[in-house]
Amino acid sequence: MDELQFRRQAYGEPNSQDAEFLQALQDNPDREVFLKELKQLDGKLDQALKVEIPDGMADKLLLRQQLQHHQQQKRKTGFMMAMVASVAFVVGISFSLLRIAPVDLGEHALAHVHHETVALVVDQHVGVQQINAELAAFKTLGGAKFSAQPGKVYYLSYCDFQGVQSLHLVMQGAENKVTAFLVPQEDRMLLEANFADKEYQGMGFQRGGSYILLVGERQADLDYVKAEITQTFI
Amino acid sequence: MFDSFRKKKSDPTVISDMLSKQRRYDSLVRAMHGDIFRYAYWLCGDRHVAEDITQETFLRAWRSLDSLKDEKAAKAWLITILRRENARRFERKQFDYSDVEQEQLVDVLSSSTEENVEQHLLRRQIGKLDIEYREPLLLQLIGGFSGEEIAQLLDLNRNTVMTRLFRARNQLKEVLEKSTVRGQSNG
Repeated sequence: MDELQFRRQAYGEPNSQDAEFLQALQDNPDREVFLKELKQLDGKLDQALKVEIPDGMADKLLLRQQLQHHQQQKRKTGFMMAMVASVAFVVGISFSLLRIAPVDLGEHALAHVHHETVALVVDQHVGVQQINAELAAFKTLGGAKFSAQPGKVYYLSYCDFQGVQSLHLVMQGAENKVTAFLVPQEDRMLLEANFADKEYQGMGFQRGGSYILLVGERQADLDYVKAEITQTFI
Repeated sequence: MFDSFRKKKSDPTVISDMLSKQRRYDSLVRAMHGDIFRYAYWLCGDRHVAEDITQETFLRAWRSLDSLKDEKAAKAWLITILRRENARRFERKQFDYSDVEQEQLVDVLSSSTEENVEQHLLRRQIGKLDIEYREPLLLQLIGGFSGEEIAQLLDLNRNTVMTRLFRARNQLKEVLEKSTVRGQSNG
């Protein structure tokens, strides 16, 4: 290591533990004096750099952090609340949107019949006035009514068809009972002329501003009731 | 309902995680705040600004404490944050601190003994050093980093760092020598 290189190294890093540097130091006693001077300078610099630290700085730093941390946690809880609220909101919205989605009437009619087995057992001896009174309550049906008793009616009640109020009737078919649903017309509804599952046959048609769905065990019963209704329902 | 949710979240492991994070942060602050403050001070030359930068640095450190895996690297990490914070200050507003620092430094000391005079002079001179010479020197003396580490921190190559350290010491040494010569001639 030549003199220049040594000096550069000494100025750059007086405390260097580099083997070559230490060797160079021993080569020449003058270098040791030179390095000692530099180390003295570093000592002075060290002292000079030690400016006074503001009182209680560490505590102040910790306090700031704790306060901010606390704030953040509060904000986080607020954020959680907002999230929960908006999730609830979205769920609410999507439920009401679901009601606007197309409704397959046939499928629902079948499901309803399967669900409400009681309706096929009871006999309430329903008269035409009673039916018409119920129909009058339907503003959406536009004043449709039966002009005469549509055969024997066993059962009469309101029911909910995907958010649409409709009338649930059980009538006497050619042989067996037939369930009839009177549903006010709406754009979102899909009406199939024929539908069926393992147990029941179904048919749908329009009459007097409403959809009429019939569900029964045999086609003959359906045709029979359809004829009854088309004659009497206006 | 929300209370139970909150309780569920703060189960024992989370709490102990939080506690150990807090403890780590406590020790980090206590061990490093002096060096960080001094580094900030010599970087910007103003005690109040240095205090602000130190605050910001440690707040940022808290937010990303989890990313600090190696405790040894803590100082380098803090200094990186500090330098970014200092640079941000200049983005926000361009103050001329080079004027402030020399005026300000005069008040720091009541220079009575010869040693104090010398120290005072040195402080002035360190403050006057160009930032590119000053910073490697600060990293070496306050940070205790090697030439290689300084090169990494400042994104320079090692030779440049060594040259700058050489010039920094050279300038400071000359000033001290001049002052003693002057002192002798005066006395």
